[in-house]
Amino acid sequence: MSSVLDVVLSSAFLAAVLRIATPYLLAAFGGLVAERAGISNIALDGQMLSAACTGALVAGYSGSVALGAVSGVAMATLLGLLLAALRLELGADAIIAGIGLNLLASGGTAYAVYSLLDDKGGTSGLRSGSLPTVTLPGIENIPVAGDVLSGQNMITWLAFLAAPFVAWLFYRTRFGFHLRAVGEMPDAAESVGIAVRRVQYTGLALSGALAGLAGVFLSMGYVSFFVRDMTAGRGFIALAAVFLGGLRPWGVFLAALGFGAAEALAVQLGTLDVPPQLVSTIPYVMTLVALALYAWRRKRRGGAVPTAASL
Amino acid sequence: MTTTPMTAIETEDRRQYRTTRRRDFAVDLSMALATILAALVIGFLVMLATGNDPIRAYEAMLTGPLDRSFRVGRWLEDATTLTLLGLSVAIPFRARQISLGAESQVYAGALAAATVSIFLPLPPVVAVVVPMAAAAAAGAGMGLVPGTMKARLGANEIVATLMLNAIVVRVYDYLVNGPLKEPGSNAVHSENIRPDSALTPLSDWFGIPLGRANIGLGVMLLTAVALWLLITRTPLGYRIRMTGANPDFAAYGGIRVPRVIEWSFVIGGAVAGLAGAHLVQGVYGRLEPGLAGSLAFEGIVVALLARNNPLVVVVAGLFYSYLRAGGDIMEQQTDVGTEIVVVIQAVIVLLVTAQALPNLLKRRIARRQVGVR
Repeated sequence: MSSVLDVVLSSAFLAAVLRIATPYLLAAFGGLVAERAGISNIALDGQMLSAACTGALVAGYSGSVALGAVSGVAMATLLGLLLAALRLELGADAIIAGIGLNLLASGGTAYAVYSLLDDKGGTSGLRSGSLPTVTLPGIENIPVAGDVLSGQNMITWLAFLAAPFVAWLFYRTRFGFHLRAVGEMPDAAESVGIAVRRVQYTGLALSGALAGLAGVFLSMGYVSFFVRDMTAGRGFIALAAVFLGGLRPWGVFLAALGFGAAEALAVQLGTLDVPPQLVSTIPYVMTLVALALYAWRRKRRGGAVPTAASL
Repeated sequence: MTTTPMTAIETEDRRQYRTTRRRDFAVDLSMALATILAALVIGFLVMLATGNDPIRAYEAMLTGPLDRSFRVGRWLEDATTLTLLGLSVAIPFRARQISLGAESQVYAGALAAATVSIFLPLPPVVAVVVPMAAAAAAGAGMGLVPGTMKARLGANEIVATLMLNAIVVRVYDYLVNGPLKEPGSNAVHSENIRPDSALTPLSDWFGIPLGRANIGLGVMLLTAVALWLLITRTPLGYRIRMTGANPDFAAYGGIRVPRVIEWSFVIGGAVAGLAGAHLVQGVYGRLEPGLAGSLAFEGIVVALLARNNPLVVVVAGLFYSYLRAGGDIMEQQTDVGTEIVVVIQAVIVLLVTAQALPNLLKRRIARRQVGVR
């Protein structure tokens, strides 16, 4: 047991938590924005995947990492808008359309990579590079914080800044107020003159962009190439973090960070004598229990907490 | 049937009812065909845009699976699992429950079927039936968890089923790599099941090589008919349909909606469990890592394509597996990646869910007709 504690308290482990939590945080905030706008974005996973693929391909062919990252995020944003259009213009069920978009991303990225590079696995043959890391002058010399914080990818910093950003957006801006109103009760929002559709389109675009950042991090930060289906269901886990966090920015932040920590722990425990597969189920079991408790509490209180679009 | 003779009006009503049924079925089927055609056209354009020869590719894809008898077997074996998984989500979908839990249920079913058929010596025939029953029970149990959470507490079934998937897949992975791994083997898989528990291969019956296709195909067809009868001809089926159409109205009419929701999850789970049993007892003969691949999610596509009508699910499942099998052959014979099949499939889902699309077309056609006058 003491060896487990040693692992958990090491600065390398904490640095790994930040790194592993990055895609969960960004994607979860993406999911949160969409959910509060009244359209469940179950396509987070597909948006991440297509951003990761587009980013690596564009960076590889153009030689510009920045251009790759921007194209990746743009692609995910487009998919967010497409989901909104399917829902709002064609009356599609958001969940089923999301499943469709996930499939499209999975098949489309694999097809594109195979057509362009003649490689089934991914873009490891293409030199696409990765986004720069951030070193804060001075912080490296502080004992633990220096090891944990210095040398983290710039997207990791963005991921942690996303929490205050989303909280500010939701509760301090006009747009955030409109977004929450639209998600809560679109008819009422419309009746007081809020442009419901425009708010929902903007929300879904932002949602896609955040998921896109998460995807770009995977292929241009975590590693420096795209691997087929490399999101490995992270988008779905992020979606769970949205609900586990009670649809509130800081709650979602803690939930996503918890998932990251649990996964980092599972990786570390793999070196010890504990089956890593069983350790990695812990966050999901916790989510399941939390989901039940949350629903039970809401049932007793009778709807005092924000409701999700898909409920 | 009552013994009293039916009045003329009753007979007329009955006939009218049957015609409506038949027309509904025809509409479902033709809508599905139109959707597929549109998706194939889009696939054609994608291949053209990426510099491939779509005609050759489609030729390989659409004629390949019937080329040789073992390819037919490969197709039927795949279709059996896929259709069972499609049927398993069609039932909760009918009650308007978005259950994405087929993955957890199929793995639970596979584990149950394998455990019984590896470790429990049973007489012939019973040795086939008991593992399948165990698999169905395990799948039903996996369905009951999110079903109860949704029905009694109102917990979001999408998140619950996704979490359960994540848990069961990891536990399965642990068991196949650990306790259930064949002792002394380097490769990761379980011991083989007892020969008595294997589903009889179709090759034995027809005398031609049909690969791993087995009598699970018959089980699948029977399940589809049973579910169709359940949905259209039984009180529970009526309650499921009413709950799906309007839960408030159903509750007002005296239907105990929570119980109906639970049942829809349990029945779906049992069917997905059977799919797991088919994979173990019919296809692989043991537990393999990642046994079900992406089939669980593709089952959702099949159910959607069939608009959750169990009999149409069979047709959709056969068609969809045909595309899957054809895609592999296409990739061998041409340079086009088999992933184009997934793209085509995604387009099908998006077209099916765009409910306003047919109305939009109808309105446009109507407007044009008015304009002509």
